Amino acid sequence: MDAYAVGVLTNMGLFAFVALSAYLLLVAGEMSFGQQAFFGVGAYAAGVGTALWALPLWLALLLGMAVGAGTALLVGLPTVRLRGLYFAMATLAAAEMVRIFFEVFRYRREVAGRLVGPDGTQGFQEIRWVFERGIEPLGYLGLIYAILGLLVLGLVLLERAPLGVAVRMVGEDPELAAVLGVDVTRLKLGVAAAAGAVAALGGGLYAHHNTYVEPRNFDIMLGVHSLAYALVGGLGTVMGPLLGVGLDVGLLEGSRVVRGYRMIVFGGLVALLLLVRPRGLLDEATVHRLGRLRRRPRPGVPGGAPAG
Amino acid sequence: MLVDVVQNTIDGLLIGSSYALLALGFTLIFGVLRRLNLAYGPTIMLGAYAATWAAREIGAEGLALAAITVAGAVLGGAYVERLCFARRGGLRGAATARGPAIASMVASFALWMQLEEVVTLALPRHLYPFPPLYAGAPLVLGPFLLRVEHLVTLAVAVLVAGLLAGLLFGTRFGLAVRVVVDDVEGARCVGVNVPWVLVRVFALASAVGGVAGYLIAATSGQVTPMLGMWSTLKGLIAMMLGGLGSLPGAVVGGLALGLIEVHSQWYVGPSYRDLIAYGLLFLCLWLRPAGLLASPAARARLAATG
Repeated sequence: MDAYAVGVLTNMGLFAFVALSAYLLLVAGEMSFGQQAFFGVGAYAAGVGTALWALPLWLALLLGMAVGAGTALLVGLPTVRLRGLYFAMATLAAAEMVRIFFEVFRYRREVAGRLVGPDGTQGFQEIRWVFERGIEPLGYLGLIYAILGLLVLGLVLLERAPLGVAVRMVGEDPELAAVLGVDVTRLKLGVAAAAGAVAALGGGLYAHHNTYVEPRNFDIMLGVHSLAYALVGGLGTVMGPLLGVGLDVGLLEGSRVVRGYRMIVFGGLVALLLLVRPRGLLDEATVHRLGRLRRRPRPGVPGGAPAG
Repeated sequence: MLVDVVQNTIDGLLIGSSYALLALGFTLIFGVLRRLNLAYGPTIMLGAYAATWAAREIGAEGLALAAITVAGAVLGGAYVERLCFARRGGLRGAATARGPAIASMVASFALWMQLEEVVTLALPRHLYPFPPLYAGAPLVLGPFLLRVEHLVTLAVAVLVAGLLAGLLFGTRFGLAVRVVVDDVEGARCVGVNVPWVLVRVFALASAVGGVAGYLIAATSGQVTPMLGMWSTLKGLIAMMLGGLGSLPGAVVGGLALGLIEVHSQWYVGPSYRDLIAYGLLFLCLWLRPAGLLASPAARARLAATG
């Protein structure tokens, strides 16, 4: 694989985490404009973990996830009862506050004779854990996809479990779900925290890939892109957001044909697509049909579906 | 000390008047369509870039620039309306994550990206000068300074708000708009051409945005590709502060945002200015989600939809 392909695939993998994070909340019926903040929180926390506290990468990533989930919980507590546009605006405001916090956040220490750490608008340089261990881009790509694969597997299993069904029910009709005995507020808070952790995990991986992050990386553009990825790919399955990322980052950024016009092409495609499929390519109906297709017994095989 | 407070308050109100104009257009679209048009700022930017282009290439100036900005914004708005808001399941469903409302919003974001790339392809430099509205010195009033551009913006904002109120509450078109807001099905039953009303509301809102865009560009004397995002965010925050879908709310929200920004910049510095503005927005949504000047109808709607 040439370096360019590795770069595009790495970007796809990293964006997938934010897209999944936005997807989780969309499935629960909430539209967040603020998942980029948890991506940023994860990036900073994991970066501090390896660069300042000399933690191993896995522990730093876990730390990032914990801080990300905690922050998401903190944002979620006052906002979870808001709906629709109000929730979207509140999460946007919270995310911008987090971004501006990073613009004034300074925490620098001398490590091995060099001053490192977050330095306000100057960003956070020298997150060198991966670099120092001589891990090749291809190896790191493998690590990203291994973690992403585990995450997707976990989410697929969760979607089939009663918990996943309850989340979808809350997204469809919170009143009905409440009547059926689901604690809607607690469930949404849980989803918000999980979505924060997922975004933060991506952020931690991103920081160690780039070795440098700055507050500008986590502005609203990232958040709205992740919403668009989830919505274009489809809200019916975890694969939806991955498809969305693949279409934009993989197909358009990756193909050198539309370079320079990428946003014109992608923007037009998204707008037209949402005109015909308002819940994305892999929406619930499609996923259901595909599932039935797979479960349909082959004719003549004994032990198939009972007659009728 | 007192002089500073008064001067900051004046500046805040004057700067806030441009936010109020942005919020007026925003709230018009949201109030009627119950949909969020993220491409609102970028269509304004399209108009401002069209005027910049006209100023550079054919030497347009003054009112012609204002007219071109408005025309560009209305054309851009028409494009956004056709692609993102027309034929999307009517007006059923509030702005929740379900249904076509979110599809409209994300589609409008996609067109935002498109418009941004179009203007940077047409005029690729990071910054272009925009012919200023007024080149003279600011007015001096005792110890206070008043920028003429700001005064013009304030006057225009008051005028536009008054005209909109007259239009909505004094004409047949306004009556049709209010019927659509109250009850879409009822409006259809009494023979209101709902899609046509929506198209005209969208054009009207884009024109208001274009006026705001011209004044903002001519006051700052420059345009950059950031104008789109800036306009969307400022208009959105001002609208949310004042209360969704309320014209007086948009004006109050805009002025409040201006005051908050100028005062916090003065007392705690520019890096905390936006932090405080967002913090107050967050508090406002948390404690008073219907906005500072919520109409009873809006509060009832909020209670009904959660």
